Amino acid sequence: MSDTAIRDRVASTIVDVLKVDADLVGTDTRIREDLGSDSLDSVTLVMALEDEFGGSINDNDAKSLTTVGDVVSYISRRVEEKSLA
Amino acid sequence: MSRRRVVVTGIGMISPLGTAAGECWSALLEGRPSVAATPASWRQYAETTSTIWAPLPPIDWPAHGISRIDQMQLDTSGMLTLAASTEAIRDAGIATSLADPKKKTFRLEGLSPERCGVFMGTGVGGITSFYGNAVNHVMTPLKAVLADPTALPPMPLRFNPFGVPAMMPNAVSALPGIRWSLGGPNLTFSQACAAGTVAVGHAFRAIAAGDVDVALCGGAEYLGDPYGGIFRGFDIARTLVTEGSDPQRANRPFDRDRTGFLFAEGGAAVLVCEEAEAARRRGARAYAEIAGYAENFDGYSIMSIEPSGTRIVDMLGAAVRDAGCAPTDIDYVNTHGTGTAVNDEIESAVIDRLFGQKPFVNATKSLTGHCIGASGGIEAAVTALSLAHQTTHACHNLEHPIRDLRFVREAGPCRIDTAITQSFAFGGHNAALVMKRIV
Repeated sequence: MSDTAIRDRVASTIVDVLKVDADLVGTDTRIREDLGSDSLDSVTLVMALEDEFGGSINDNDAKSLTTVGDVVSYISRRVEEKSLA
Repeated sequence: MSRRRVVVTGIGMISPLGTAAGECWSALLEGRPSVAATPASWRQYAETTSTIWAPLPPIDWPAHGISRIDQMQLDTSGMLTLAASTEAIRDAGIATSLADPKKKTFRLEGLSPERCGVFMGTGVGGITSFYGNAVNHVMTPLKAVLADPTALPPMPLRFNPFGVPAMMPNAVSALPGIRWSLGGPNLTFSQACAAGTVAVGHAFRAIAAGDVDVALCGGAEYLGDPYGGIFRGFDIARTLVTEGSDPQRANRPFDRDRTGFLFAEGGAAVLVCEEAEAARRRGARAYAEIAGYAENFDGYSIMSIEPSGTRIVDMLGAAVRDAGCAPTDIDYVNTHGTGTAVNDEIESAVIDRLFGQKPFVNATKSLTGHCIGASGGIEAAVTALSLAHQTTHACHNLEHPIRDLRFVREAGPCRIDTAITQSFAFGGHNAALVMKRIV
């Protein structure tokens, strides 16, 4: 899977969960501060990413993801390790 | 005043016969049942006597307004409820408008929200979601067990034939009804952390209305499963206390350094409530009078209190009025007081706004931990005892109060004529009882 494909799928998952305008979702966008994600949204987003990419994302990993770019890099790495679909 | 007439104006239905009321009705008229063999996968676990069931038809959830996110978050019982309600509202010809695009909530046009109620029953609610988590939870160590069978997690020796009546929520009402041969109304309320308060409130109303003369009422809960799966459900939702340097001091409702609620294994409280004159005639001692009750609903979030606290203020005001009192009459507030950041912040602001600094304030959960559905019954009992003994317990572990309220710092005598005990539940259910001293 290309990095662009991963970025697009992460962005559309974020839009789906947080109901934000796709234009607001850039690499440096902070999910909590810039997109208004609260703690329930964060849990939902992790579930939606697990659903989108197959596999599980543990709590500690999830807590370390601040920006959209962090999520994309994390998913890319997991896909490369073949620990996500 | 003559009784108002009641009519049905809309119907929504999903059943094994169809995914809309019309489909179900046609199948009924045409004598077309849904019957199929039980899933082959089930047979891996047990040979059952019955091997057929009535499955639901495939359901196109998005067509029923249930999104991909909804499907991840909700139990199927909740999705079925939402889908049927959507059809019923449409069928009734009630126009809707989008209220909150992010939460995907709507308004019913031309109707006042405060005049619209919801009355639903369920046998076991979201049990399959719990089952799913329980299986995931129990199976996880089994991966290691494949290498070392002696490390098997504990398993009950048998599949309990009384599992269904043991599991059904209404057993907590049916059991005392059977044990004490009570033939009057026997209802179960299931409003999570407010369930006990709601149950006592409805017992009070039934006695006040003359429906019954005596009621056993309260709440009961047990959450100590051998695998810690129920605990984990609350933990993963980030609601529980973190132990810090001193576990004994960790549970601290209304303190600056609170971190969540202390999960209790369980508990129960049952109050006998009676019509006062009959109680006097039989020479009964009375701890307190239940003088008022109110309940309402946030209509906001399945897990969070509505942040402005306006619905809670409305509800508390109504409870006080129902008791024929003013907010200034309240001498003691037995709080919901869980120790979560959000609950205590909103609750303390609400108390300040409505009752000010006059009443004594404490949190029974600072000592009992959170007994969920039992807590309202326990706290109603504590409030009655506080009135009877004119003393109450401290808000345990409170060192740095988050608001300047009259928190009880040490147990001791206190003049209490009128008290309120309040509960707020996951789901958005708010309820409070007003009790008075017997004079």
